Amino acid sequence: MIVCENIQKSYPMGHGRKQVLKGLDLQIERGEHIGLLGRNGAGKTTLIKLIGGVEMPTSGRIRRHMSVSWPLGFGGGFQGSLTGYDNARFIARIYGHEYGEIRDFVEDFTELGAQLKMPVKTYSSGMRARLAFALSLAIEFDCYLIDEIIMVGDANFHQKCHHELFEKRGDRTLVLASHSPSLIREFCNRAVVIHQGEGIVYTDLERALDAYLAL
Amino acid sequence: MSSFAAGWRTQRRVIGALMVRELVTRFGRENIGFLWVMVEPLLFAVLVGIVWRYVKGPEEHGVSIIAFVATGYVPLTFFRNSVNRAIRIFSANSGLMYHRQVKVLDFVFVRVLIEMIGAMMAYALIGAILIPINEFPVPSDMGALIMGWLLYCFFTFSACVVLAPLSEVSEVLEKLVPVTTYIMIPFSGTFNMTSWLAPAAQRAVYYSPFVHPMEMMRYGVFGDRVNAHWDVTVTLAASMILTLIGLVLCRRVRRNLVVE
Repeated sequence: MIVCENIQKSYPMGHGRKQVLKGLDLQIERGEHIGLLGRNGAGKTTLIKLIGGVEMPTSGRIRRHMSVSWPLGFGGGFQGSLTGYDNARFIARIYGHEYGEIRDFVEDFTELGAQLKMPVKTYSSGMRARLAFALSLAIEFDCYLIDEIIMVGDANFHQKCHHELFEKRGDRTLVLASHSPSLIREFCNRAVVIHQGEGIVYTDLERALDAYLAL
Repeated sequence: MSSFAAGWRTQRRVIGALMVRELVTRFGRENIGFLWVMVEPLLFAVLVGIVWRYVKGPEEHGVSIIAFVATGYVPLTFFRNSVNRAIRIFSANSGLMYHRQVKVLDFVFVRVLIEMIGAMMAYALIGAILIPINEFPVPSDMGALIMGWLLYCFFTFSACVVLAPLSEVSEVLEKLVPVTTYIMIPFSGTFNMTSWLAPAAQRAVYYSPFVHPMEMMRYGVFGDRVNAHWDVTVTLAASMILTLIGLVLCRRVRRNLVVE
């Protein structure tokens, strides 16, 4: 279970502060698939970063009672100047995994071949997505935090994600930020619509999507 | 297994991984690779030593001038490099905050540790080259040398732990650090023993945390050929106070760190 209690997050802006989240409460049970909806800049990425522990809330508490992946998104998690292999080696080390196993899985899942010997900064966003998913799947988290990036992959990548994440690891918890109604409908059982710093939790996905489209 | 033991194991894994990552990004795997870490302190100590040798003659106050310069410059470059590398270290490494087991303090620790290893390698190599040609004495008290060095390292680490978070909130600091590390040289014991100074100056440098470990190291190398005095409480107290302040600052800055 992950519990977010009265989460507030603000960033300095000029002389004042911009309040992004104004006291959000959220409980994520084990095995739940939660969709995060909201307009650009509403705070979806911020919430995912807070749940992942990348940034700290300005006030409020987050308690994690399971292992949570780092946010799989467009930035972060990798060192751009290092190769794909070096990044895999680093991540294997800090999570205490055997590098050999991680490497085999990464090679198989990403199909990047010799590109893995190139610095990650030369990768396209689709290639980064492949690497990020491969590493986080190899490490086996209880909860996966996915920020949009699932959208950038090609058809083959979608199929692989579908198989590895939603079929083989369907029992895992998932927090998925996305603008795609079809993705939310297909994979989520609850949704949170974030608007003006407040989060409204919907158990009925259609109502959540209606609320999101009406924003 | 207790949570402390588990935490300790994670900590060691993270430090090891960060060390390798830092060495690979800074020095690559080409030619001599991470051995570059000792080149800068080595060149500084040896080249400045040779220049002084020709300007001032082979000995000063009864000890080899090359050896005296080397024993001063290796710790000084270690301090300067460590401090410079601590500036804006959190934003430079913020991508690593994606992995929760990596803490901001680890960055500071790893960078100081790498500089420390480089300095020790340089020191050892200088000894290995200069001892056979009688330009460097065989250390007369290894214990004093090592204890002095560790104390110097502790103080350097404590300075970095304060500067790293401060440099994230103040841009002025970044500009003041180079001039400060230059101005402090007369107060660092790098180029003189305290006993060579006038009594008034001796009383002033007593309060410099650098001087005491430096005197210890000099005694460790030259023994009774130098008149060394030290009081570890000055350096220990300064280091502990700075570390404490630094830990509080690190915590506060981490709370507000914005990660891309």
